[in-house]
Amino acid sequence: MSHGVISALLGGVLNVGLVLLLAPLCQGVLRKVTARVQSRQGPPIWQPYFDLLKLLGKEDIESGESPGMQRFAACLSLATVLSIPCLVPMGFAAPMNDVADVYLLIYLLALCGVCTLLAGLAAGSTYSLVGISREMMSIIVLEPLFAIALLVGALHTRSFRLDTVLNGSVYATDGFPWSGLIMLGVILLSFQAFVQRVPFDISEAETELMEGPLMEYSGPKLALLKYAQMAKLVIYSALFVGLFVPWGSGEPFPWNCLVFAMKVFALVLLVTLVAATHARYRIDQAIRYFAFLLSIAFVALVLASYGH
Amino acid sequence: MVARDRLEQLRGKFGSAIQRVDLPGDSRLFVFVEPSVVKNICQYIFRDLDARYVISIGIDDRPFSGNFMVAHNFAFDEDHLLCSVLTYLPSNNPKIDSISDVVPAANWAEREMRDLVGIEPVGHRYLKRLVLPDGWPEGEHPLRKDFSWDHVPKEFNDEREFTFDEPPEGCTVVPFGPFHPTLDEPAHFRLYVEGEMVRGCEYRGFMAHRGIEKMAESVLGYNDIPMLAERICGICGCVHSVAYVQAVESAVALKPPPRAEYIRTIMLEIERLHSHLLWVGLACHIVGFDTLFMQSFRIREPIMWIAEKISGNRKTYALCVIGGVRWDITPVLKSELRQVLDKLEAEWREVVAAVSKDKNIQKRTVGVGLTNRDLVKNAGLVGPVARAAGVDIDCRRDHPYAAYDRVEFDVITAGGGDVWSRLLVRMSEVFESIRIIRQCLERMDDGPLQSPVDGELPVGRMGLSSVEAPRGESHHFVITGENNRPRRWRVRAPTYQNLQAVPMMIKDQQIADMTISLGSIDPCFSCTDRLETIDLRSGATRVWSQRELLELARAKEVRR
Repeated sequence: MSHGVISALLGGVLNVGLVLLLAPLCQGVLRKVTARVQSRQGPPIWQPYFDLLKLLGKEDIESGESPGMQRFAACLSLATVLSIPCLVPMGFAAPMNDVADVYLLIYLLALCGVCTLLAGLAAGSTYSLVGISREMMSIIVLEPLFAIALLVGALHTRSFRLDTVLNGSVYATDGFPWSGLIMLGVILLSFQAFVQRVPFDISEAETELMEGPLMEYSGPKLALLKYAQMAKLVIYSALFVGLFVPWGSGEPFPWNCLVFAMKVFALVLLVTLVAATHARYRIDQAIRYFAFLLSIAFVALVLASYGH
Repeated sequence: MVARDRLEQLRGKFGSAIQRVDLPGDSRLFVFVEPSVVKNICQYIFRDLDARYVISIGIDDRPFSGNFMVAHNFAFDEDHLLCSVLTYLPSNNPKIDSISDVVPAANWAEREMRDLVGIEPVGHRYLKRLVLPDGWPEGEHPLRKDFSWDHVPKEFNDEREFTFDEPPEGCTVVPFGPFHPTLDEPAHFRLYVEGEMVRGCEYRGFMAHRGIEKMAESVLGYNDIPMLAERICGICGCVHSVAYVQAVESAVALKPPPRAEYIRTIMLEIERLHSHLLWVGLACHIVGFDTLFMQSFRIREPIMWIAEKISGNRKTYALCVIGGVRWDITPVLKSELRQVLDKLEAEWREVVAAVSKDKNIQKRTVGVGLTNRDLVKNAGLVGPVARAAGVDIDCRRDHPYAAYDRVEFDVITAGGGDVWSRLLVRMSEVFESIRIIRQCLERMDDGPLQSPVDGELPVGRMGLSSVEAPRGESHHFVITGENNRPRRWRVRAPTYQNLQAVPMMIKDQQIADMTISLGSIDPCFSCTDRLETIDLRSGATRVWSQRELLELARAKEVRR
């Protein structure tokens, strides 16, 4: 086996481990800060770890239309989310840099949404179906946003290599980086939706749909789905950092990791504060909002293809 | 116009059909008419005289007059007059013309009358059962006097499922309830949904009918009933307790001392404060804005504490007896209450300022759950729901009771008729409540807490009382009776009318707006529960029926 493959595998395992380790912590921070904003004491920062362990240890109840498909959907959901860290620089360079490219990244991001659809469809209750119909509508206008951001970077650098694109490539123009700054704004404005938090937790909407697609899930399956959701927060933050705020990642170890962790942490805080100060939008309002962002993103894409 | 003029109007139109009139004062009018003109006279009162429909009541009066009775109650809000149109029906096969096609708001009341007293509203268009479950045998009417309060018919099948209407073509059914995280109480809406749009719905409620009226009419005494009345509602109990004692007091012409009236006013406003704060919090929670939900509850908590200091309880105050109150507000409590109000006012100003400017909440609430003046009139909507549609009614001003005629306050209205307007109305009413309590504390003189009641209360008198609950008018009707208890006591909570308009409010709206539209009337159902146990070793499940649960709860020792 060549040296490259081994280091890629090792790096991948390291990144996946890092995400698995960090995700519940970020969730814990999110819950604690939310509680403070709401004048509450809040659970201990470690609570999400215990929650996951407890769920994993519970009896696997099979409720829903097709239990086999449900189990598959739950596993696939976490598996997809966990394959993304292999393609994303998290402090170090992206581990699978030589064997994967930006296309794969875009596909995997889309697959995350498909997993939710699958989970809801397999559960088959009315509320799940309403939930996935909402999820489907938002995927159609939401997913292209991040893809366009990646494409803008790829256009600027004339490369689909992960290490090139996920290194602040959106600003890599000769003149003023118009398209990059526009995409920064677009992604910031839609970030809550990518990590499925208020005001865009529409497909789960506890007070309307009783968790929608997740409604029929409990025990270990729910743990996997919840874990995937927590991991999404870390991964999208890492992607955002790589694409839009790469500064400091070139520093020597351990500073690069420290800087990375700080940036992810700052994003988690941002997500928390936005979630704590907003009401949930309705699906039609959200779609209109995403569609507006999408049209702006297309403008950025056109600008990028002309080198601005 | 005063009661006498209204009576002349009725006499001029229906002279010979009016059998008897009882005019106990300027604010109450009882008109006894022939059954044949009931529909016409109700139409005249409701449409031509523009009175507000309150409630219809079926009464089994056979042991006393040999007849059944029906009362249709109306309110002339501008004249400060509550009016009851009564009629006697023969004891065999009682029937009366339905008024629900001229007074749509009477829909539920007439169905309930049919279920519980067995008086048939002839010509009613939707005679489905309302209160009784589908498994209840035909011909058994619990509110009849020959039906014992603890009797359960042998043929009653409590496992039988409800029969539902067919959904319209092209619609799927989304069941909403009986248990839903935002409902907190059992009620079942079958939404007919086309995509994300709600096209209609069927409502099944009364899942936890507790037989409170029956119990009061057959087991309890006059002064026990306020405690029971308080337990009608989990939020606005004091309202029912005050409304009941006032109905009895008005029937027997008993006036509580001024200090008692001030204390009733203060406790009612404390209740409104905590209820409105709770509602604003819940509304925010429903649209996903949990921060304001938590802050609302934090601000609300000192109100609960001061209520506990005054009455010994956070919520169920046990305040009223016939002719007075049981708790005094001492100088120490007075100054504490003032401090609580000052702090509340300052904190609430901040919340109102934050919410009023919040575009995000407006997006979810403006134009949602629409009502208009027509719907308010036809469905008999009350309280903040009516006021938010620009209908200026408030029992505190229109039918003054307790000490409300001695304090100044504004009736808050808004014009939008949507959830946002209801939010604005409720938020502003908090300040009015604070104002009322402060004036009461200022003006309350020393004096006795209860008027003496000598001997038995007179029999066969009728009393009406309307109290402005946080959710709207709570109306009680009482006929005094023998054995130290009323013959008939009818409670109409505000949700009874407001809930009837929910299907109209949610029609052609998104599913996402269903919860906040329903939430915006501040619905109040009542509670019971079923239980499922799982034997871990065998994996067998067992559903406990209501009867088994009751047996378990009443057994002295429950062995594990």
